[in-house]
Amino acid sequence: MPKCTINGKEIEVPQGTTVIEAFKMLGDDICHYCWHPGLSVAGVCRLCMVHIEGMPKLQIACNTEVRDGMVVTNQTDDVKDTVKWGLDFHLINHPLDCPICDQAGECGLQDQYMKFGKYDPEMAEPKVKKHKVVDLGPTVVLDSERCILCSRCVRFTEEVTETNELGIFNRGDRAEIGTVQGRPLDNNYSLNTVDICPVGALTSKDFRFRQRVWYLKDSESICPGCSTGCNVKVYFNEEGLWRVKPRYNAEVNGHWMCDEGRNTYKYVNAAHRLKKVKAGQSGDWSQEEVFPETMKLGEKFRAAAEKNPESIAVLVTGQYTNEEFKNFFEFVADELKVKNIFHWINNPEKFDDFDGLLLRGDKNPNTYGLKEEMKSRGGFKSLEDLQGKMSQFEWVLVLGPENQSQFPDLKEKVDLLSQAKSVIWLSACETPELDALRAPTHQIPMKTYIEKEGSFTNFKGLVQEFKRGTTVIEDALTLQEVVALLRGHELDYRNRPQPIGGTKKNHFTNVRGQL
Amino acid sequence: MSFKVKREPVRSSWYLPGILVGLGFTFKKMLQNLFNQKKMVTLNYPEEKYQYGPRFKGNHVLTVKKDGSLRCTACMLCATNCPADCIRITASEHEDPSVEKFPISYEIDILRCVFCGFCEEACPVDAIRMGPEWQTAALNGSEFTYDIRHLAYRPQLKGGVPSVLDDQERHSAGI
Repeated sequence: MPKCTINGKEIEVPQGTTVIEAFKMLGDDICHYCWHPGLSVAGVCRLCMVHIEGMPKLQIACNTEVRDGMVVTNQTDDVKDTVKWGLDFHLINHPLDCPICDQAGECGLQDQYMKFGKYDPEMAEPKVKKHKVVDLGPTVVLDSERCILCSRCVRFTEEVTETNELGIFNRGDRAEIGTVQGRPLDNNYSLNTVDICPVGALTSKDFRFRQRVWYLKDSESICPGCSTGCNVKVYFNEEGLWRVKPRYNAEVNGHWMCDEGRNTYKYVNAAHRLKKVKAGQSGDWSQEEVFPETMKLGEKFRAAAEKNPESIAVLVTGQYTNEEFKNFFEFVADELKVKNIFHWINNPEKFDDFDGLLLRGDKNPNTYGLKEEMKSRGGFKSLEDLQGKMSQFEWVLVLGPENQSQFPDLKEKVDLLSQAKSVIWLSACETPELDALRAPTHQIPMKTYIEKEGSFTNFKGLVQEFKRGTTVIEDALTLQEVVALLRGHELDYRNRPQPIGGTKKNHFTNVRGQL
Repeated sequence: MSFKVKREPVRSSWYLPGILVGLGFTFKKMLQNLFNQKKMVTLNYPEEKYQYGPRFKGNHVLTVKKDGSLRCTACMLCATNCPADCIRITASEHEDPSVEKFPISYEIDILRCVFCGFCEEACPVDAIRMGPEWQTAALNGSEFTYDIRHLAYRPQLKGGVPSVLDDQERHSAGI
């Protein structure tokens, strides 16, 4: 374990640690672009310069290993001067079009310039013009002028996805990032290149120009897209959710996440959501208030269960939190003695798939937690039992999927449920497939993963807690609240979390025209 | 608690001379205005309008490029800087890669605007200016929300105010 001194502070680091990693461990500021903790060292940006005692010249911190007794500093005047003019070289051909650049506000180049640069450029030559708005693939757009050739994205496709789509073409100041003809950047991890791009050269087609980043708040959460349970940050403002980005967790996802998981913000937005209880059958729906309607349902449901617990069936998906499952099964299995509990697996044939990096075939975030909860209660009944027996059930309670795009067998299930006498369907989103449901149905609006707190257990049994980020639909319920209402308990709906910016600041603009 | 209010004693009960002096002044001005209208101090308002100086911060104008399209790049710095929160922009992708980003909607709620001019100051491309117009009357409440058509192409602007900064010039100069 070598010991070194960084900016006057002593630190002991593991063998093989580089100087820049030691800086990060200490939390000291160091300027860098090409170095990324999840990628190999390239040493091309020449900005992480440090002064090491005994060395005649400045060294790059990313490619220098810590040795015992090393005395390192980046606070000397010559280091600051080198960084400052190194930055000038980076900006020679950079168009400085921050106003229309999507990265503005979270751009490394902007930050470093404010910290180290602040000079008038010495370059009198005109800037080299390169390609703008290059379509790299279905998800990513490249602006070569903004690129500072740090090669992070190229190394990402080489080392992490091993697809080698990106490369650096041409030489000198005409060098550009690009793809080979006929091989677009099209893999399930392509949007990570946008995250690691330290400037606005790579932008996501999905998020491009839709919001300025300084209007967005973020909240840490867990991706509900599959059973890996990647740690994510969700970005939102009062208009809704805008994007999902990965958050570092060495045990689960490292620095990355898949493109499929980045779509999980879409169904949370109000346009796709169930806002009131929808009651009816065969597509003929009436909207009811959530609290009284659910309580009314609860009375009937409990009466039927007390008469004959066998007349009730429960269909469960692994899309809810551990706490919700615990609460739910305490009510349904322990209190009402319901035995007919079925597990709805969306894709049994692909259930154990794994793409080698992060994405798993099990598209539910909490299948493990669900199975754990049911273990002590004798496990699930097999779904085949349900096939011909549907008409026996008085009530079928479905804990429906939140992310419906991952449930291709939704139609089959609706056909199956049509034979039941009455259905309670809990779902966060509008389900157009339910219009074909012939049984009398109540759809109860549920909260999504960003609107509630709890924990998901991922495929290997790691329990990950997450907090509430925002509220989109105020009246939507968590499973605990549904259970409370079905039990006949009143809920204090005055203290429920409100949507942010519930009344818009410019609310009167809309009203004024009607006055 | 009570206070005693001290009143000034009436200086003179001869009010008639005062009235006559006042009326005399009024009639003098009336005759002056009748026979020498050019020296009149007041304006016949709706027919005549006062022209403020070019630096007056009145109603907003969105400038246009030489081809008549909007100069605005939808960077939203004006909306960010606006203390009254009265600017709303929706950005979109332009077909022309050299333009890239442009506003498909730009709305100013003029009744919220405090005419501070911060939007003008924040704009990096001279896309928004505060013009010399100052009349904000309208018949309907909804007319106080100015959209792109009003801000850039209202009849008073005669086809749009050209911006000092043009993309094509900038590109050919290699900046």
